[in-house]
Amino acid sequence: MMRNPKIYIVAFSLLAFLVSGNYLYENFFYEDDLQKYSEVINQIRAVGEDTDILYIGESSNNTFHPDDKDKRAISEMLIDYLPEMEICDITYPASHAGTYYDILRAIPVEKKINTVVVTLNLRSFNAQWIYSDLETQLQKSMVLLKPYPPLFNRFLLSFKAYDNKTKEERKRKIRHKWKHDKLVFPEPFHVDNTYDWDGYHWRHGGKQPDGTLDKALRELACHYVKGYGFQIDINHNPRIKDFDKIVKLAENRGWNLVFNLLAENTEKADEIIGSELTYFMEYNRKLLYDYFTGQGVKVVDNFYIAPDNQFIDQDWTTEHYREDARKDIAENLANSIKQILYNNN
Amino acid sequence: MLFNTIQFVIFLPLVIVLYYLMPHKYRWILLLAASYIFYMFWDVRYIFLIVSSTLADYLFALQMEKHETRGKRKLYLILSLVVNLGLLFTFKYLNFFTTSLNGLFQATDLAVSISPLKVLLPVGISFYTFQTLSYSIDVYYGRQKAERHLGIFALYVSFFPQLVAGPIERFSRLAPQLKQNHPFKKENLVAGLQLIVYGLFTKMVIADNLAIFVDKIYESPDAFNSLSLFTGMVFYAFQIYGDFFGYSLIAIGSAKIMGVNLIDNFQNPYLSANIREFWQRWHISLITWFRDYLYFPLGGSRVKKLRWALNIAVVFVVSGFWHGANYTFLIWGALFAVFYLLSNRIFNSTQNFRKTSVKGLVSVIGTFIIVLFLWIFFRSPDLSTAVLFLKNLFSNSGTDQIYTIVPPVVWIMLSVFVISDILLYNNRIDKWLSARSMPVRILVMAFLAFCIIVFAAVDHTPFIYFQF
Repeated sequence: MMRNPKIYIVAFSLLAFLVSGNYLYENFFYEDDLQKYSEVINQIRAVGEDTDILYIGESSNNTFHPDDKDKRAISEMLIDYLPEMEICDITYPASHAGTYYDILRAIPVEKKINTVVVTLNLRSFNAQWIYSDLETQLQKSMVLLKPYPPLFNRFLLSFKAYDNKTKEERKRKIRHKWKHDKLVFPEPFHVDNTYDWDGYHWRHGGKQPDGTLDKALRELACHYVKGYGFQIDINHNPRIKDFDKIVKLAENRGWNLVFNLLAENTEKADEIIGSELTYFMEYNRKLLYDYFTGQGVKVVDNFYIAPDNQFIDQDWTTEHYREDARKDIAENLANSIKQILYNNN
Repeated sequence: MLFNTIQFVIFLPLVIVLYYLMPHKYRWILLLAASYIFYMFWDVRYIFLIVSSTLADYLFALQMEKHETRGKRKLYLILSLVVNLGLLFTFKYLNFFTTSLNGLFQATDLAVSISPLKVLLPVGISFYTFQTLSYSIDVYYGRQKAERHLGIFALYVSFFPQLVAGPIERFSRLAPQLKQNHPFKKENLVAGLQLIVYGLFTKMVIADNLAIFVDKIYESPDAFNSLSLFTGMVFYAFQIYGDFFGYSLIAIGSAKIMGVNLIDNFQNPYLSANIREFWQRWHISLITWFRDYLYFPLGGSRVKKLRWALNIAVVFVVSGFWHGANYTFLIWGALFAVFYLLSNRIFNSTQNFRKTSVKGLVSVIGTFIIVLFLWIFFRSPDLSTAVLFLKNLFSNSGTDQIYTIVPPVVWIMLSVFVISDILLYNNRIDKWLSARSMPVRILVMAFLAFCIIVFAAVDHTPFIYFQF
């Protein structure tokens, strides 16, 4: 057994290194790294021990217009309709279901949360968002939150064990998706993919009635095509998998789960592109609604709740709403939550 | 695939395990497949460049050997040069020339414009092109027999540890090792791991942390005061050293585990007493390549003094241009030629002083300062940045201070690196450790591993020499 004691010395040293290294790191360096690379930890820590409702989302939650009288976030407005509830929010700009999952998983089991409201943003299923430039930073910020020993998490961070792609790689991926994902239109149409559709609007879009070119309008038209001109593939879209993981996590933790299907500017889409685009918006909305409802999740459908004038960004595709729309969304959500709580009791 | 990523942490052990499980006669297949996979992680499309370069040189070398007439042999050498340098020119230099020509057209009011080629620079193209070129030239001169085994030749061109940033190996050194049966040896594993760990330390802890501050300074050199700019110069010197030295060590260590010994690429270059010595210690595989395939054919030192000076200038300017298609690299190379010639004039015989003497220390520090200044041209994205940097360095017109935002841990790690470089003078970490007791070896490795995990910079930082 003791033919080669050196092996035992090496094995013991390795074990000692891992244990003492983890101790040193956890006690002297971990907190600094968390503050530097995973600031969202502070929001996770701020979630109360007996939170009734946890709202998790991106900038759609708290972006407001300077003219809004009530500048509160959607999550804050919930209190108007659920005054007796303790409501917390975790708002992390540019995030999506993949990061929501990591954040939710990092919430200590001891925290007794009743209902989790997760933002369901249609655009987060498109190629532009999935392969966004921001993704590398976003994924990096999640590594230290993983449920492993701190030293191992830091090892993963040091060796870039996350979705770490260069800008060029991401651009290539987006272009590939746009070119190769076939769009099935209800009626015969002159293009069959996002890339060509976008190209068409770049060449022919933005024309004023007098024939002059409105560059801003042309750019907006292209944004709309790239933002909404896609069809979700339930089996392969990574976002679907992320939401599936959230459903499983909620089951394990005993949370009531609500998906807040965000409002999109269908009015503008119809105006500058036409019914072909709103067809895909509706197609994807229905698909998401049916799929997650089928999984037993309460999907609150706010898709058509906001008219064009309630969208703050008129020259871009965002889910940033003015006061009235935020209130409507909050009210809708609150009604659904009340229903869940009523049914449970 | 980068050495400092989780992919490589998984890839390397997997390849090594398979390598030792596989019978010797099939190992080349494994290594070739692994090398191509390694390369395709960066961009699948550019594998065709390596394959075409490999096939071309393989066939041309066989033809060269087949024909005895000088004319025919020369024809195949020229074909090899055209293919290799043609690829290099198209992917690396064409846009430089089109941009320069467009500038010239604009200056002379000519209504002509050449559109630049929209291509990415294939990683490591300068390295594997030089490797295959040396083979063709050696076969032409009869110094090397043409390789019959296409697989071994392809593996020589693409051997993954040194594929993208060297060391640039000669066929006569690497191929026999690739053909040889290497049984598993514990000493190779230990030495290889020690080299990899030290390499990761110099890359991830030293180079990548310094890069954060160097990038800040070079983004706006006019904003910083002189001391900050000087700090930036020192940081860049250790960034590029840590980066490239680290890459070389990981390459050498990875090959070592498989029983293959690659050439050492660095030997404490910043402890050189003059520029000539610096170039005997910095990027050794490149400078010896230039010596053998450019300097000697030009006549080397067996010519008149003026011609010799010209030969030196040509070698350094070409070596500058090898690094990148930019005027900054040309100037960097030209300035090194000037200092090389000066240092050769001053130190025309081997040093007759010890480096620990006052004269020795002054020479080492003086050489280091010259190198610091020349790195400004190497690092600057364009000439105007280099000029701005130098202007502000001497005028102290900026107010921002970089040293105040550098965390103590960066200074400590840099000091550790400098001290270890002095301790390892004319030595290598694996050899130095093999002369130490087991507890010391374990402690040193544990310390380095801990630093790599805990203090590594976390941003995506590819190796600097990948762009060449």
